[in-house]
Parts: sequence; structure tokens; C-alpha cells
Amino acid sequence: METAGTTRVQQFIGDPVGEAPPVERAKLEEIFQDIQSDLRFDHELNGCLNCGICTATCPSAHYYDYSPREIVQLLWTENLEGIYDAMQEKIWACAQCYTCAARCPFGNSPGGLVMLMREVAIKHGMESAKNVLRPFSRVMLKLISTGNQLSPDMISKDAFPDWGPNISKVDAPLAILRKAIPVPTLHTTKTAWEVNLKTSVELYTIWEETGVLDSLKTIDPNLFDVIGDIMDEKRDDYADWLEDQEE
Amino acid sequence: MANPTDKTTGEHLTGHGPEWKAAGLGAKDAQVATAWVEQIIDKRSMQTNKDRVEDVRDAMWQLEKDGEIVVHRVGDEHKPAHVKTLYGWDKKIPTTRLWHHKSCGQCGNIPGYPTSLLWLMNEMNVEYLDETDQTSCTAWNYHGSGIGNVESLAAVFLRNFHQAYVAAKAQGLPEGYYYPLVHCGTSFGNYKEMRSYLIHSAKLRERVRQILGKLGRLVDGKLLIPEEVVHYSEWVHVMRGEIAKRQVIDASGIRATIHPACHVYKMIPEDVIYDDDVLDGNRVAVSTGIMQSLGTQVIDYSTWYDCCGFGFRHIISEREFTRSFAIDRKIRVAVEEARADVMIGHDTGCITTLDKNQWISKADGRPVSLPVMADCQFAALVCGAHPYKIVQTHWHASATEGLMEKLGIDWQAKKTEFEEYLKEVAAGRGETLYDPRRMITSGPGFKRIGQSG
Repeated sequence: METAGTTRVQQFIGDPVGEAPPVERAKLEEIFQDIQSDLRFDHELNGCLNCGICTATCPSAHYYDYSPREIVQLLWTENLEGIYDAMQEKIWACAQCYTCAARCPFGNSPGGLVMLMREVAIKHGMESAKNVLRPFSRVMLKLISTGNQLSPDMISKDAFPDWGPNISKVDAPLAILRKAIPVPTLHTTKTAWEVNLKTSVELYTIWEETGVLDSLKTIDPNLFDVIGDIMDEKRDDYADWLEDQEE
Repeated sequence: MANPTDKTTGEHLTGHGPEWKAAGLGAKDAQVATAWVEQIIDKRSMQTNKDRVEDVRDAMWQLEKDGEIVVHRVGDEHKPAHVKTLYGWDKKIPTTRLWHHKSCGQCGNIPGYPTSLLWLMNEMNVEYLDETDQTSCTAWNYHGSGIGNVESLAAVFLRNFHQAYVAAKAQGLPEGYYYPLVHCGTSFGNYKEMRSYLIHSAKLRERVRQILGKLGRLVDGKLLIPEEVVHYSEWVHVMRGEIAKRQVIDASGIRATIHPACHVYKMIPEDVIYDDDVLDGNRVAVSTGIMQSLGTQVIDYSTWYDCCGFGFRHIISEREFTRSFAIDRKIRVAVEEARADVMIGHDTGCITTLDKNQWISKADGRPVSLPVMADCQFAALVCGAHPYKIVQTHWHASATEGLMEKLGIDWQAKKTEFEEYLKEVAAGRGETLYDPRRMITSGPGFKRIGQSG
């Protein structure tokens, strides 16, 4: 945690004149071990000659202090301090386009490696992950409880003022415009399509069984509680329906 | 129409701007100068790795032989078309009995995208099912936030594909009747990645088997793996000849640029369709193929390989990056360099990003405007679909009206018709592309209606 008198640089990469490490070696090793133990790690990292073709075509490298070459080098050379440092901000710059992977002569996937690092940043409850994901709560609430990431009622002029004056160029209530779509599953405003109750309940079981809810709890305990309440209700509704079928 | 591969017209791969001048190199020097580009950019470096890439389907068939999994086959009843992928491998694309695996971004934000696809299928009497028992792939959230993991993504993949396998039972039809058709490009890339990890990892298979067992989503106690993961744009591609037969509006005056989607062709690139007849096989064939078949002039541009700027996380919380990249690296290049009339895409996030992030270009005094839509929307439009009832162009922020004018469509009259139609909708007399009773196949609200229902 940041303490009074420490700068952000000192907090993340250490005090250049002090001797105490900002993060214990054991913690750095644990983080690297978590990244390395993912079954995808060896698939995504095969070697690196520092050619930089990944960074040359990286969209994020145009705009951020981010280089996929650097990510690969840190992992390839097992630079634990550097890996930890990159997890504070840089990994969140990646646009996940996989242009780097398509170009790499070694068949590395820097974008794929970034995902492993993001997962581990969340698992360890890093502040960077909490900060970056704060604007995602609405999306995660929708996704985890319904299986849809986006819904028509999320697209509003207030939420997206830079998208122009019209969400729809035909002026009519959202519910009517949605009913005018001739695909019956799309006559919804709160989900992108009508989702079967049974489907939501099944998806929630997947979240539970795969530890995704644990990750969510680490990052945003309030959201975790809200989603838990919603899903308890949905499970009860589904159990009631099943009971009715037996009668 | 201009032939985009005709090297004598000056219009082939015409990505260069007016400042471009021929270098005047001899044939041999030109070959030396461009060999690197052709290898790395045109043919993609992926091709140099061919010998190190395995066809995951070989391991898949072996797993089935060993009794580990069951493969959902693309059967003769799905009337498959056969295409070639990056390395010349065969891929089967089912053309009928399709289970629509929808995209949350398309359905939520660009509803004319799936609607146009279903409309085209109706026009060609293609059998399909669009139902409520499906989740999104959850990969947009995963790539944006890191919430999720390989187990959750793999379990969601196989849950949805299992539902596609059993869905027809609700209509009294056999399992495997419908084959899943994936609408979203990110779902397409993600599902292929998950299929590969599942086939290669016994540990992952076991974990996912336990989860799907709890959900009752195994076949004979085994995981069900699809023979092919098929994107809708591949269906459009193999049907492009049939679609073109139904064309009623001349599109030869349209200069079209294509935005190939990263998660369609950069993830698991060995499974992506390339066709020697489509830009000499130098570009992913989908979307370009249908636009050529519809007679448009497909114009290449220098940043064709760039992403759109969507970023998964950035589109939500760091839109400065998204809009800057979309405008400067894609839209402005397509307008100023390729002098495009439209940009055509085949993925959810790309269409959203490129369509919505133009208005803001007025902010720096250099406004840029280019209609953006999906390949199937353009196809439906020139096949006579209603621009508002079916293609739903009113949800597009970009200037689709200019494109319609160039195609000779009286969009104002069509818009007035649609506004009148909304009164019918409000009165409960809206039209649908299929019998709404078919959309619930189990659980609350399900009523068996039978095959003829």
C-alpha cells in the first residue's frame, strides 16, 4: 500500500537509494509462478530475439508507454520486478487485437500473455486492477447475471456523449424501436436478447465452479454481493418453476 | 465494375494517395523491394510458420476414437460448402439447419446486423433456429477486464454448443439437427482458442467435464466438441453467388473498403478462409468476396491490417484511444487514401467503433465521415431489404444515408414508411421473420409446437 512520504515510483519499483525491496521476493515469485503455471503460458511464449515487429504494429504502442516486446522480454528473462511493475499499468494498455501474435516469427502471443498477467493482477487484488475495472461494474453486473455484456438501455447520450446527438436516427421510445426489430428474441431493452431463466442459472454455476466469482469478490466485494442477491432470486424462481412442473 | 485485381487499370489494391509516384523499378528490383512486404504483410508471417502449426482437428478425431469426446459433425444434411483456409486446408461450412449463436454487441447496439442475416436466410429458404437458451461467449468482458479464465471460457463455449446440439428436440427433431453459426468475431476467435486448449489439455477437459456434468450438458458422459467453428461471414462468403442472384440494386458505383476483424483472422489464423479468386488470396476472403460478387469496387488501403481501436476495455473506459485510433488509422485513411463510399466489416466491436467514433472528429476541426456497416447488411440492402425495417440503419451513427443515395435508394421515403410502421408496432401488429413460439426451447415459457409449427 502507498504510505505517506512514498512516491508512486518508490511504491512500485522501489527506492533507488534505499535497500529494502518494495515487494518481497517471495511475493514476486508467487506472482510469476501464477502466470507461468497457466496451461497457456508455454503456448504463448516460445522465445524472443527482440526484433520488435510486435511493437511496430501494435496499436497501443502508438498511444501508450506500452510495448509487447517488453512484455515478452520480461517474461522470457523472468525479470520479476519488471513483471510486477508492468502489471501496475502497462498491461492494461493492450487493445487485445493480437496483431502482435499474427506477426511474431516465434509464434509468441504477447496479447495472450497480457491476459494471463491481467488475470493474476486480479487474483492478487492489485490496486491497478481495481482502478482500471471500476468503470466495468455495470458491464460485469449485466454479464454475470444475464449472460449478456451489453444491453440497449446502456447506450445513452449521457453514457456516450462523444458518439453524436442520436442513439437512433428515428425518434421513438426505445421499447417501441426494439419491438420494431423483426427478430423476436431482440424485443428487449435490459438485455441484448431475451435470455432464458434456465440459461442464466446455468451460467452462474459456471462462474461459481471456475472461481470467477472469487476474482470478482477480490476486486469489487460490493458488486459481488449485489450479483449474489440477484442470482439467489433467479435460482429460487427457477427452483419454483421446476417444482411446478413436478406437480 | 472495376476489377480490383486487374493490374492494368491502376485501380488494383489502390491504397495509395494522390501523392504516390511509381518508383520505376525494373521487374527484378521491384521483386526484391517488395518480397519482404509480400511475405510479411500480404501473405502474412503466419505462412512461414506452416510447418510448425498442427491441424487441431487431427487430434480431435483421435480423441473421439479414444472415447474421450463426441464430435458434433457438419453432416450432409447441413449441405456443407467446402473452402480452403490459410494453409490450403479444407473447412466445411454448413449452409442450412443453422443455430444462430447471437452476439451481445450486435443485438444490443447494431440490431440490423443479425436481422439482415436472418432476412437473407429467409430469402433463400435456409432453415434455422434463433432461441433464448444461449449466453454470450463472455470473451468481450474477459479481454477487457481479465475477469474470467480459461475454464470459464471453455465451459461457456461447450455449454452453448451443447445447446445448439440438443435444441431441435424441442421441435421433435433429432440431436445434431442444427449446427451452430457464430455471429460475433470475438466469439469465433475465442471458441477456436478454447477448442484448441480443450483438445490439448486433459486437465482442462476433466475440469470442464465436471462442470458440464453438473449442468447436464454431456453427451454419453463426454464433452461435445464441434467439428468446425463457423462464423456467419463464412456462411455469407460461401453463399455469395446465391445472394448475388437476388441483387436488385446496382452497386458497381460503390467504392468499398474492408475492415478485417482481428479476432476473426489473427486468432487461430490457420482456420481462416483465403481464396485465390479474392484479391489474389492476399487478404482474408470473407466480406471482400461478397462485396466483389455484388459488383462493388473493393479498394485496398494501407492500414487494412490495423485493428479498429475497440480495445475491449478502451471502448468503455478509455475512449480517447479508441476514437483517435479509429479516426486516424482507419476512417481518415479510407476516406482520403481510398476515397471510399463505405467501410464494410464482419465483427461486432469493429462496426460499433468505426461507426460511432466519427462525429467526435468535428472536435479538432477535421471532420471525417464514412458509412460503416456489416457485409450482410450491405448485401441485404442491395437485395431489396427495407433500410429501416430490416437493415435498421437508424441505429448507425455514420452517414448511411449518403450511401443509400448513391445506391439510388430514397431513404427519406423509406424512413417515413418506417415511422408509420412504428404505429403498427405500438398497436401490437409488428412483423417478425419467424414464428416467435420457436424461440423458447425449454424452461419457463416453453410450449412444444412441433416441426410444422
